[in-house]
Amino acid sequence: MKRSQIFSMYILIVTALFFSATLTPAPAKAAAPEAKIGIVFSMTGGAASYGATQKNGAQLAVDEINAAAGATGIHIKPFFDDDASTPQQGINVFKKFINGDHVSAIIGPTLSDTAHVTDRIAQASSVPVLGVSNTAQGITEIGNYVFRDSLTEAVVVPNTIRTAKEKFGISKVSILYGNDGAFTKAGYEAFKKALLDQKVTILSEQTFAKGDRDFSPQLTEIKSQSPDAIVVSALVEEASGIVSQARQLGIPASVHIIGGNGFNSPSFIKNAGSAADGVLIGAAWSSTASNPLNQKFVKDYTAKFGNPPDQFAAQAYAGVYIVYDAIQKAGTPFAPAKIRDALAGIKNMDSVLGKFSFTSGRDADYKAVLQEVKNGKFVVVGE
Amino acid sequence: MDLHHIFTQFYAVYGSLINFIGINSLLAISLYVTLSAGQLSLGNAAFAGIGGYTAGILTMYLNVPYMVALCAATLMSGAVAVVLGFPVLRLRGVFLAIATLAFGEVVRILAINLQITGGAEGLTPIPNKTQAWMIFTALALVGYFMAVLRRSRIGWSFASIREDETAAKAMGINTTWYKTLAFTIGAMIAGLAGAMSAHLNYIITPGEFGFSAAVQLLIYNIVGGTRIWYGPVLGAALLTALPEILRGIGVSAGPVRMGVNGFILLMVILFLPNGLVSLFSRRKD
Amino acid sequence: MNIFLQQLINGVFIGSVYGLFAIGYTLVFGVLDILNLAHAAVFTLGGLVALWLVQNAALSIWLAFPLATLLSGILGLVINAVAFAPLRHRPDTYFSGLISSIALAIIFESAALGIFGARTVRFPINTITVHIWQVAGVTITSLQIEIVLIAACLMAGLTWFLRHSRAGKAIRAVAENERTARLLGIHVDSIIAFTFFISSALGGAAGILFGLYFGALSPDMGRSIELKGLAVIVLGGMGSIPGAIIGGIAFGLSEVLTVAISGTSNLRDAVAFTVLFAILLLRPSGLFGRKQIRET
Repeated sequence: MKRSQIFSMYILIVTALFFSATLTPAPAKAAAPEAKIGIVFSMTGGAASYGATQKNGAQLAVDEINAAAGATGIHIKPFFDDDASTPQQGINVFKKFINGDHVSAIIGPTLSDTAHVTDRIAQASSVPVLGVSNTAQGITEIGNYVFRDSLTEAVVVPNTIRTAKEKFGISKVSILYGNDGAFTKAGYEAFKKALLDQKVTILSEQTFAKGDRDFSPQLTEIKSQSPDAIVVSALVEEASGIVSQARQLGIPASVHIIGGNGFNSPSFIKNAGSAADGVLIGAAWSSTASNPLNQKFVKDYTAKFGNPPDQFAAQAYAGVYIVYDAIQKAGTPFAPAKIRDALAGIKNMDSVLGKFSFTSGRDADYKAVLQEVKNGKFVVVGE
Repeated sequence: MDLHHIFTQFYAVYGSLINFIGINSLLAISLYVTLSAGQLSLGNAAFAGIGGYTAGILTMYLNVPYMVALCAATLMSGAVAVVLGFPVLRLRGVFLAIATLAFGEVVRILAINLQITGGAEGLTPIPNKTQAWMIFTALALVGYFMAVLRRSRIGWSFASIREDETAAKAMGINTTWYKTLAFTIGAMIAGLAGAMSAHLNYIITPGEFGFSAAVQLLIYNIVGGTRIWYGPVLGAALLTALPEILRGIGVSAGPVRMGVNGFILLMVILFLPNGLVSLFSRRKD
Repeated sequence: MNIFLQQLINGVFIGSVYGLFAIGYTLVFGVLDILNLAHAAVFTLGGLVALWLVQNAALSIWLAFPLATLLSGILGLVINAVAFAPLRHRPDTYFSGLISSIALAIIFESAALGIFGARTVRFPINTITVHIWQVAGVTITSLQIEIVLIAACLMAGLTWFLRHSRAGKAIRAVAENERTARLLGIHVDSIIAFTFFISSALGGAAGILFGLYFGALSPDMGRSIELKGLAVIVLGGMGSIPGAIIGGIAFGLSEVLTVAISGTSNLRDAVAFTVLFAILLLRPSGLFGRKQIRET
């Protein structure tokens, strides 16, 4: 039959193209030194909304760096790719970055699940990898080539709870968290530990699943327990719904809602509307922080992409600068081992996140912020 | 560039892809067995999960040797399949599909809520023991088994149930027994693949064997063709490699690649009624 | 007691949204014995298109709603023409139709991702005025009532249409027996296309109402309701319109009551799917018997 013949020709041609693209020898090195950096985020699949702003943040940083580098400075040649929110795709991308594109460093992936797997490949190949949104436990423990610039909930949350307790005199709370995501689950564990440390009574623990939009059954239960505050570990998709439905169900504004990194997005305020007011958010970055680098970033990002940045964008943007700083200190864009050493040595670097250092365990070390939403704006109320 | 260099280079970039093709082929065959007896199960992804968790827990917590863990995972998935099979295989068509899907969801939610499975973060770090040769040896053995099965009395009984269950029953075939057998063999292969995958990726998470994973196995089968056991293997190979192929020919990452992916799937369904195998075998029409 | 009443209201409300999603799903199954797995993608696109009309074309929601519903219906025609009609006479039409509709769902989702972006967005706050009433500790909003009313009207309208209109009777005839319908001079292919139109229009309408109420639309919003929709049509009996509505409410109530009775929500979905599993085994024809579409 003709159609199937045409189809097999098509398959053949596609396959031939595929192989030729794979096996073309690397072009001769250009005159200006170029640092090849693999940047992989979740552009499709479940985490696509974070991947999108991460890519924007990274793109902005690369453009700025290359514009500033001029004719002689080190340029960044970014290889953007998509892990489709799955570990398998992440592994394929990492292999391609390391063995096909021969990158000197990798930024990403978006999800901790994926990082758990992919970062081992980077470690085994001695290519430094910088996570810009991984917050689960055990990522940087994979090895000495694995770094992250994202503050984990375990760092951010204790502060939030202590301040909330001092400020509002909270003594009994209910918890609501997403129990099927690594991020929201880790946030819940951090909250729970901090609450127990502060001797706050936990009235009940309610859960939801990723993709849920109706939280009224859980919130109705919580309402009946009359807590002083509701502690929520959720990503922004769910966070805005939780907050607006809580207020709609008649949980009064005097019952504070406390959230973490997942709430730290302009979409939260946009989607929750006036219900967002009074929500307390402990986070790794604030869009309103006075640091001039940050203000410039927020302005440039908004101008370029038409939307204000969120924390994911900020951490990705900072990540590119951190890697670039290490490349400059290493003096060469071609030596992953030297870049690793330079990364490990970063101390008090000026970044959009604040004065940035790595801990000896290659985790991020800088000051978290505590914000409150006031009249539809994030306001820093403590550190 | 000499040939050796090309080969090493290719393997360095695509080695893990080749491993995934092997694993996904095993998973695809696991559903093929069930389909060959005319039963549409969407529970095979969950069986892979059961196998993965069983093996992972054994090697991580009990230091059980890898090969023993693989066997235990295979048997565990098989045992669950027997228990599940007898009640659900009375159902037909879409009802069986939905019942197995519901089973899969319950397994996934249990994995999220149990302590021993590591909850939402998954079970990690599982020792990395699976090597390419093991995957492909398993695939070769399973393929050989399929070829033998096809010519055996069992294979013949599967086929007659698929063609007409009532007639098969009338001819004295114990349909319940054979359907459960097909279901169990499929679950065992899935359990084996899941165990190998967990020991390849260092981690197994509940999200890996949800609804979309279950449907993916069906896609492998339909795209590859279900007339012969290597059809699903072809389907798994093409669809697993597709993102890389699209990357290779320069289709940019993101929505476009996803769209092209869907489009190619649609084209295969519309224009290759018997799947990719029909490209390789002489057609009668 | 008030908490319990509130939970009942919560359950009935979310259940009626499930029901509205499921009647389109079950309609196609009733006529063709085929699951259209692109239904959830239409649900998503319906919501996103309505949002686009409100936000970018500055239309009132009362105009955007029917327009986006109409467009969803047209998507249904596309689904039929591309994914189902070419396969109708193939022996494996059941399996291949599943896969081709998945392929189309992937294409639709990638289009939504490319056109509308990955972010979660909502209708502007003042799209529709919402009154919140609190009586004796029980909260109910005007939007909830409006949504339940719209859903009820659409369901009643569909039932009336199938029972009394010429086209509706033709749909039932095709569901009963395609060959006989053809012999009776019914243009079967157009009737099937029309069925897809109605089914998808209802799916799109469900997406708009869902988006309006929950204030969170995203290209992947169809994923979680897809599975629930399947559960609902099984509960109600595949192909049964009243079954889908009652099944939707039953599913919504089972979710809510698990939380209300156990006090925790960990196993909410597990309970819902275990119930589904049990019903399949005990009563494969669904809670309310296999009332096919021809018997509405």
